[in-house]
Amino acid sequence: MEEQLKIDFEKLLEKSNFSKKNIEIKRKNFNNFIEKGFPNKREENWKFSDLNQIISKNIKNLSFYNDLSKPNKIDQSTFIAGLEHNKLIFVNGRIEKIEFDYEEKNNIEILDDLVLEKPNNANNSLLFLNNAFVSKFFKLIVKKNYSLKKPLVIYNITNKDLVSKSVNLKFDILLEENSSLKLIEFSNDKSTTNFININYNFDVQKNSILKNYKIDNNSNSNIKYYFNNISQDTNSVSEIFLLSSGSEFIKNEINCNLNGKYASAFVNGVFLLNGSKHHEIKTNINHLVENTKSYQLIKSVLEDESKAVYQGKIFVDSKAQKTDGYQLSKAILLNENTEFNAKPELEIYADDVKCSHGSSSGSLNEDSIFYLMSRGLNYKEAKKLLINGFLLDVVEKITDSEIKNLIKNIMSLKQ
Amino acid sequence: MREKQIDKLKDYKYGFTTDIENIRAPKGLNKEVIEFISKAKKEPKWMLDWRMKAFERLKNLKEPNWQKPKYPKIDYQDIYYYSAPKSTSEKPKNIDELDPKLLETYKKLGIPLQEQQRLNGIAVDAVFDSVSVATTFKDKLNEVGVIFCSISEAIQKHPELVKKYIGSVIPLTDHYFATLNSAVFTDGSFVYIPPGVRCPMELSTYFRINASQTGQFERTLIIADKGSYVSYLEGCTAPMRDENQLHAANVELVALDDAEIKYSTVQNWYPGDEDGKGGIYNFVTKRGLCKGINSKISWTQVETGSAITWKYPSCILQGDNSIGEFYSIAITNNHQKADTGTKMIHLGKNTKSKIISKGISAGFSDMTYRGLVDISSKAKNSTNYTQCDSLLMGNKCGAHTVPYIKNKNPESNIAHEATTSKISEEQLHYCQQRGLNPEEAVGLIVNGFCKEVLQQLPMEFAVEAQKLVGISLEGSVG
Amino acid sequence: MLKIKNLKADIDSKSILNNFNLEIKPGEVHAIMGPNGSGKSTLSNILSGKKGYKVSGEVLFENKNLFELETEERAHKGIFLAFQYPLEIPGVNTNIFLKTSLNAIRKANGEKELDAIEFLKLVKLKAKNLKFDEEKLNRQLNVGFSGGEKKKNEILQMSILNPKLSILDETDSGLDIDALKTVAAGVNSLRKNDNSFLIITHYQRLLDYIKPDYVHVLMNGKIIKSGGPELALELENKGYENFN
Ligand SMILES: Nc1ncnc2c1ncn2[C@@H]1O[C@H](COP(=O)(O)OP(=O)(O)O)[C@@H](O)[C@H]1O
Ligand SMILES: [Mg+2]
Repeated sequence: MEEQLKIDFEKLLEKSNFSKKNIEIKRKNFNNFIEKGFPNKREENWKFSDLNQIISKNIKNLSFYNDLSKPNKIDQSTFIAGLEHNKLIFVNGRIEKIEFDYEEKNNIEILDDLVLEKPNNANNSLLFLNNAFVSKFFKLIVKKNYSLKKPLVIYNITNKDLVSKSVNLKFDILLEENSSLKLIEFSNDKSTTNFININYNFDVQKNSILKNYKIDNNSNSNIKYYFNNISQDTNSVSEIFLLSSGSEFIKNEINCNLNGKYASAFVNGVFLLNGSKHHEIKTNINHLVENTKSYQLIKSVLEDESKAVYQGKIFVDSKAQKTDGYQLSKAILLNENTEFNAKPELEIYADDVKCSHGSSSGSLNEDSIFYLMSRGLNYKEAKKLLINGFLLDVVEKITDSEIKNLIKNIMSLKQ
Repeated sequence: MREKQIDKLKDYKYGFTTDIENIRAPKGLNKEVIEFISKAKKEPKWMLDWRMKAFERLKNLKEPNWQKPKYPKIDYQDIYYYSAPKSTSEKPKNIDELDPKLLETYKKLGIPLQEQQRLNGIAVDAVFDSVSVATTFKDKLNEVGVIFCSISEAIQKHPELVKKYIGSVIPLTDHYFATLNSAVFTDGSFVYIPPGVRCPMELSTYFRINASQTGQFERTLIIADKGSYVSYLEGCTAPMRDENQLHAANVELVALDDAEIKYSTVQNWYPGDEDGKGGIYNFVTKRGLCKGINSKISWTQVETGSAITWKYPSCILQGDNSIGEFYSIAITNNHQKADTGTKMIHLGKNTKSKIISKGISAGFSDMTYRGLVDISSKAKNSTNYTQCDSLLMGNKCGAHTVPYIKNKNPESNIAHEATTSKISEEQLHYCQQRGLNPEEAVGLIVNGFCKEVLQQLPMEFAVEAQKLVGISLEGSVG
Repeated sequence: MLKIKNLKADIDSKSILNNFNLEIKPGEVHAIMGPNGSGKSTLSNILSGKKGYKVSGEVLFENKNLFELETEERAHKGIFLAFQYPLEIPGVNTNIFLKTSLNAIRKANGEKELDAIEFLKLVKLKAKNLKFDEEKLNRQLNVGFSGGEKKKNEILQMSILNPKLSILDETDSGLDIDALKTVAAGVNSLRKNDNSFLIITHYQRLLDYIKPDYVHVLMNGKIIKSGGPELALELENKGYENFN
């Protein structure tokens, strides 16, 4: 693979016109990636999901250069119906359309060829890979006091032409003071066995609100890694919801720094898996100052041979008195070969805090099924009703009612 | 406002040293020292061979480093691996013939060994540095077929049992400290309960480190044969010294069909002074195998001592319907560090495990609960319940919870809950309004917090442990 | 016994008590009535030594400056507060708590500590007088007690500790009429020449059973009117709103 990486990287540099400085930084990242490679289970962070193995098992002849010179057709049928929204459309990793029809143009700004400035010091090899190979680096700025009137949907569409490629995307999203954004990331994949690596950086400034809904719902054989870095200032709110269901493998990493007082973060997620799918969410919520709050709720329903992993960490700095931190993960295992792994972690250095976590996994409650059957439902109906109830609890946490309904529709369509 | 002086220095009443002449192996870790130990213990060749195998293996192993408390590099060549009072080179037949200095030492520790003064209903094996110096009530136990003696004696007198079970729960190759122990272990207790016997008294081992620059490498093996029951308790203390000393123990428990072992620990090794100087490194591997059907192993630990505690008493639930339990209180104060918890490995059908962990950190200390619950795909209809609560006293200390939860069985259920909090001002105020001073109030509330675990201890020790909980937190309020 | 002069109390720079004055002599029973939020619990908290308030003024208890004493030292000197909301302390056995408390106070006063048998005898007697179900004393302190049981438990503690000054913060709320009568009987049985009471209540109902010597009306952080038992009746008829 190293050979391929080198060839593809040189090809990328040759075909693009990156600045000298950019090339220099890319090279550094490239070399770091070559040195570390794809993460494997010997790394604590990847203990439950050996990416190196997953990639070599699922993707034959992975290549890293992606020709983005020719436009792709946009399949309109993938658009979300019944919801007025702004669009950023990517097809096979190429930006095809930017459309903010509902917004005041002077209150948002989009930059599309940002240069990497800081070298990545997270020691995360997939960020090295991303920085080395990403061709355009986007930045969206929502100006002070502006709230987007309609949600923004980032479409990540892939079609049949994309096979065994590594796709890298990178976004910076800045919410200036008093602003707000509802962001839906909507994946639609018809491609096969690619490794898609997406890096988001959210800077949520004072009094701003970020709502981020990540929807991956149609079955496909891609392997995906999302790294979401969120930093939050005073009084800001972030709300993240994941519907993690479609791809063969997904790991969503969420690193959230609560840097300002009264900042709060909510992470809710549904893992609905079948076949041999394997999805993970790993959160790091860092409470760094007083009076911050975090809440996490993750529920999984596992069928066939699927596997879900929740690794969640609440870190409380010694300065972060009056922290309120909570995490709960629950899983229902429906088949003999399913597996649920959890590592809910608390690392706490301040005493005046309220932190707790809970985790449970197991079968559907047979008593409840029996109760429902005694009221006339058959086994299948009873089971479905209970599972819906189990998951609905998470969906109800979505604070935007329009999007909540959308997601409810998507989920019940599926069942 | 508060005029009263709170004595910051906690009183470690077991900090004295016994001035006694020792026989020591030369310093360092090598073949000769292992031969020395084996010879001093008059071991058969198979035992020496086993030690050598471990020693060979050790050369390829590295010390683990995933634990939270880091410690300065240990120079394994700068430790005495064997130290025994000279007077015990021939173990006296009768306890009354024991060196009076040793008798006095144990009396001071609250464990009188002599016939007339013995604790009622408790048989004691007293381990002093590298040797067992006395075992009480042996005859009485013999009457019902219970074997209770030092592991050294068992190797000589019951080789078939030792051979069969030693290393069967903690393989020789398990990890660095377990392998080190297998190469150089000195003494510890051996217990065998024959089929159908309910051990008529509590068995206990009292570990004492006395000599300086000496490591203690305890090895304990407990076998409960079919349908038997035993309750075993260990206690540990050491003198106050400004050096760090290593206690690296291996404890193996085997419960056959329908047998039950209850293993309790009150660990009060010297924790170091209030600046974190000195104290014991307590790196211990404890593992129980529920080998038979319907067997049960229950660990209870009260960990208040040691500079660093690093241990995970675990249960392998192999037999169908077997039960594993872990009840723990861990308290760290001043600069103490603890990384402790358990592993519950569910292999058999209908196996059950329960984990109750109460951690309290004060001063500049750091405490981690680390645990694994693993339900394999064959362990149908199994359950685990885990409750981990942490109390923090002040914001210079840390409390961490790191559970690993793996469920591969759709018919099995795992439930885990954890909380971290501090003692509420309201509770303190309430107690003070009723006349208790802050330290008494904290002691009372903390004991309440630990109640579920304290209840698991044998009566005789519960009271002792309660006092210890209070003492360990002295100086942390105010 | 208790002299409060010019007491001012703030919390988070919000003024709660201001220019509060009160004197209680040995043997007297005083009642304080006032609307919600008028500062009644704040007063009892401050007298018991709860932290978190900014206080000024003077409070003397038997001529000693109360502010110089820790909470437990005040308890040792005979101040008892029956909390409006008695706390639950998980894992702590009620009997053991009571014994620890009683002996801490006895010890501080140079009296002999009671052993388990003497203590149990005392508790049995007091519990019987208060119709308090003894079995509950073997449970964790206040854990799983109903509101009324918690209040009765406070009065039981009071009767065992035999304080000089008992402050009852809305002990009557949440009690049914029978419980109210037993609580009142408990208080009355402690009434002696040298024992005083400060009874905080909303309702005149309790005062039918415990006859106060004085009634004070607390509003906006100070006593706006004092009088005899008849004041309570007047208050009951008019309501706080029309009282001024
Ligand atoms: N910890 C606190 N922080 C802020 N305000 C408080 C606090 N405790 C009480 N107060 C306020 O002080 C006032 C008096 O409260 P309190 O003494 O409890 O009243 P009462 O007992 O008469 O109902 C109320 O307005 C209440 O909201
Ligand atoms: Mg009140």
